[in-house]
Amino acid sequence: MKNDTSLEPVPTSLEDLSLPLEVRVHGRGGQGGVTCAKLIASLYTRMGFHVQTFGDYGSERSGAPIQAFTRVDRQTIANRNKVYQPDHLIVLDEALMGPQVLSGTTPGALLLLNTRSTLEAYAGQYANYRLGVVDATAIAREHGIGSSSVVIINTTILGAYARLLGVSLGALEEAFASLGLGGDLAAAEHAYAQVQIRTCDPADAHAAAPATAWQPDSAPVTPLTEHRADSPATLKTGSWSTQAPRYREHAAPCNLACPAGNDVRGFVQALQDDGADAAANVLLRTQPLPSVCGRVCPAPCMQACNRDAFDGAVNIRSLERWIADHSTQALGKQTTARPRRFAVVGGGPAGLSAAYQLALHGHAVTILEAGPALGGVLRNGIPAYRLPPEALQRDLQRILDLGVETCLNVRIGHADLRRMRAEYDALIVCTGLGPALRLEGEGIDMAGVEQGLDFLDRAKQGKVELRGRVVVVGGGNTAIDCARTALRCGANSVKLVYRRGREDMPAIAEEIDSAEFEGVRLVLNRQPVAFSGNGSVSALVLAEVEPGAPDESGRRRPMVTQRTSHLECDTVFLALGQSAGMEWLPGTWQVRDGRAWEGSQALDVWFAGDCATGEGTVTHAIGSGRRIALAVLGRLDNAPETQPDAGSAVAPGQIRFSHFDVVPPHRDKELPPSVRRDSFEECNHGLAGPEEAGRCFSCGQCTHCDTCLIYCPEGVITRSESGYQIDTSYCKGCGMCVAECPRSAMEMHEKTKLEVRQCL
Amino acid sequence: MSLKLLSANHGAALAATLAARANRAGRGFCSGVYPITPSTECMEYLCLQEIEKGRVVKVESEHSAMAVCIGAASAGARTFTTTSSNGLAYMAENCIAAALLRLPVVMAVANRTLGPPWNIWADHGDSLLLRDQGLIQFYCADNQELFDTVLCAFRLAEDQAVMMPVMVCMEGFILSHTTAQIDVPEQAQVDEFLPLTSIPHRLGDTPHALGQVELPHQVEMHRHQHLAAMNGAIDVYAGIRDEFERVFDRRLPDAVVAYRAEDAETLIVSMGTIGATAERVVDRLREQGQKVGALRVRLFRPLPMEGIRAWFAGKQRIAVIDRDVSLGFGGVLWGEVNALADPGTVVQSYLAGLGGGDVRPEHIENMLSDLLPRTSAGLPAMMEAA
Repeated sequence: MKNDTSLEPVPTSLEDLSLPLEVRVHGRGGQGGVTCAKLIASLYTRMGFHVQTFGDYGSERSGAPIQAFTRVDRQTIANRNKVYQPDHLIVLDEALMGPQVLSGTTPGALLLLNTRSTLEAYAGQYANYRLGVVDATAIAREHGIGSSSVVIINTTILGAYARLLGVSLGALEEAFASLGLGGDLAAAEHAYAQVQIRTCDPADAHAAAPATAWQPDSAPVTPLTEHRADSPATLKTGSWSTQAPRYREHAAPCNLACPAGNDVRGFVQALQDDGADAAANVLLRTQPLPSVCGRVCPAPCMQACNRDAFDGAVNIRSLERWIADHSTQALGKQTTARPRRFAVVGGGPAGLSAAYQLALHGHAVTILEAGPALGGVLRNGIPAYRLPPEALQRDLQRILDLGVETCLNVRIGHADLRRMRAEYDALIVCTGLGPALRLEGEGIDMAGVEQGLDFLDRAKQGKVELRGRVVVVGGGNTAIDCARTALRCGANSVKLVYRRGREDMPAIAEEIDSAEFEGVRLVLNRQPVAFSGNGSVSALVLAEVEPGAPDESGRRRPMVTQRTSHLECDTVFLALGQSAGMEWLPGTWQVRDGRAWEGSQALDVWFAGDCATGEGTVTHAIGSGRRIALAVLGRLDNAPETQPDAGSAVAPGQIRFSHFDVVPPHRDKELPPSVRRDSFEECNHGLAGPEEAGRCFSCGQCTHCDTCLIYCPEGVITRSESGYQIDTSYCKGCGMCVAECPRSAMEMHEKTKLEVRQCL
Repeated sequence: MSLKLLSANHGAALAATLAARANRAGRGFCSGVYPITPSTECMEYLCLQEIEKGRVVKVESEHSAMAVCIGAASAGARTFTTTSSNGLAYMAENCIAAALLRLPVVMAVANRTLGPPWNIWADHGDSLLLRDQGLIQFYCADNQELFDTVLCAFRLAEDQAVMMPVMVCMEGFILSHTTAQIDVPEQAQVDEFLPLTSIPHRLGDTPHALGQVELPHQVEMHRHQHLAAMNGAIDVYAGIRDEFERVFDRRLPDAVVAYRAEDAETLIVSMGTIGATAERVVDRLREQGQKVGALRVRLFRPLPMEGIRAWFAGKQRIAVIDRDVSLGFGGVLWGEVNALADPGTVVQSYLAGLGGGDVRPEHIENMLSDLLPRTSAGLPAMMEAA
């Protein structure tokens, strides 16, 4: 390109330079404007001029509008002032263009713009100027100057300037070499070739008065003692930034982890700020069974809690229990403009949740329950020492207070389903799982071998007396419940046989701990293959199990070996899970996407809870019931489906641990094991107080802790009614507030062009 | 000699480097440095130089930077450091120690407003903190002058009759960050200009403590010696100017730089770059027939009182412009020179460019308009230059 003889310098006027010549460069911190001015100075020194060049320094923050100046003269330069009336104006960032940039220029001044636009775009604009336009950014990017995000154009644009000036490329090369920037010369040559130039008709130029005249200020001379006014800061530092902080709620990991969809962070914070009733208000939006979940939920929220990486997860489950046990919040019958009628089949947690949501929305709901009372597995499966009947009753009563009707001891068949479709706007089927799974093996039907669920149901209805050695087969919550219940029914010893290792047991970890604490012994990696005994069971034949290749769940597949042993026993409870159990539906129906279909026709019969998902916990069932209830309502009202994107959860790395004191979790009060084995009294008495809520980080949500305000080095954050206000006129975008926010409730965002201009 | 495009900061560092190398046959060079805006570039430039028998020690604070210089000078080395503003304030205790220990440390000071609130721009208030503590102070107006003055400062500081620290001050950014041509001499010329450093009271082979307790009469004696050396420095400087001219073939500016002052009725007195602006104002007003002249005080300590008094003689009005303020008094320079004028001369204090404001010719013209009708000096007046 250098040898391209067609690239003659545009003939101007080095000889006509009016001296002293003053050049002003406008750019942003980080764009290299000062170096640009130095290069210009260096260029002129090659031509034998005296030069002077300096930047107008601010805080040297990247993005801040900066100016840099170069003076050129034939004699030593004594002017120590900034350049107020430039002859040449170089603008590195077109977004800065405005009266401030053009200030002090006179007709005929040279204006060189870095812009993506071509000359045609400036028709009628800057008519008074000798205009040069060049896309220095694109050229510099092509030549790989700077980084992919910040392209440095100060050297590139010099090529365009040299062309405008009528200076040869040779002089440019020397100037670049003098500052060690020879590597950027090719880009400058590229710009030299590409710059588009529009000359200025001197007649036009002088006809039009410059709109940008600069008037030197003429501050009065006042005795020092009379300077009384506190002059406002005129330096709008907000214009320095291309990024700005804002308050932005981010998803808390507990909230995202809650299968019921509870606003965990919300109710914990409400408890801390305003007490149990306020917390219940938040909780009861999604949670019909807080007394239950506050006791038996496996609490995925606690596993997700960011505090776990600091000093232990917040004891969220027990806080929920505290709220349920201490709030007096009552709900009454709700109304709606278009009441509908719904039937919910099944009074377990999913059905209760679906009915609760529909009733909360003011609709008429009838629960049809096969058993003698509501509650499903809560009533007949979970032992009283974990879930006292009174606690369940409180939650049930709250639901019934909403006006939910119940029909007990009703078993639904094909015909009922078809009839009810006509009577109700929609049916929601929440029948849970089907019959308990059996074990194949010799002697399985022997006396003394019983399904664990049946045993638990009997134990809840009245006293069951057990003697001797009990073996429970299984590793889930039902197995643990059976084992611990067996102890309370008088078993001399209880062993739990499970085919995998302890870490693979699906039961809640704390429940396994409690069982062992109370004396249950775990027999792991063993699979019963036969039962022996004379009429009634007296021993199990256990095969050793070796872990095989991982299955879909990631757990190692149990490989039963030929090595066996005998385990003597008097009673065996099987707790191996339950089948899906949907065979009672009409044969012509299919279930797809949680809904019944007859051929291609969607029926207003929906499925929620374990019968639809098989997820197996109370909390999942509650979530499923609520979601299906809301989906049904939406579908009936033809409301568009909305799936709000919660975003990704705040990670532990986004929490500023250093802003928090180490406070170990508040533990639940527990009965000692010596007392536990003798009664079905609730073992866990929960928290002594609600202080645990104070440990919540409130991940992603502002708590008005003032950290941003305290750390802001500019003092531009103030308290406002809704939280905080940031004075954007002066915020430099340093990001310290965002970096220091203890809970990731703030973020930086790129300022829009409008926001940038508003600060200028 | 060669012309180089250099900022004043880099110029100061280059002058120190040449001076450092010039002592390679002696006890070498040592510099303790710590960065602070706007003097950081000086320190950075120095750190990048290869200095035979020299070391630049990067320390954790300005206080320690001067401590390094004190230690090195006590051992007989040529020493240099650079700082600014609150850094200088933090260094002050050791600056005073260097002065009272009569150690010829040369310092480049990029003048910057003392905070808080923070301000990074020029104000003479920082170096003036050390006005009374036995350090020589120069205030410069352009890059070449700054470069030459740093070179000369080594010669002056290390002169056997002077033997004390020299501060060479430049206004932050206005000078420190302004790039212009500097005529840089050859090393051989610098070698010729600067004799090897010889500090007669340097530590010998036997270690001993410096600065032990002294009694009142010893203090009086030491202050008397220091004062006499200070006063003598004016004449020593005059001699160095001749020597400088002989070696480098250009003349260092006088301790006070007069501009069209001979027949002036009104004088504008200032320090640093405001002096250059004042000279532009003089030219403008002379064209209008006003008899105005300017006086730039380059050597502030020791104050060349006789020289100033001579220039003041017969003037009607004198505007003293300070880029500083002694709170509770007025301009520091004004306070210094007030008594040097004839009785009846109106000597008015003007404060301008505090916190780095750009003092433009029209500001100074405003001051003169204010001065002209005065028949006696009033309260110090302030000009707000943004």
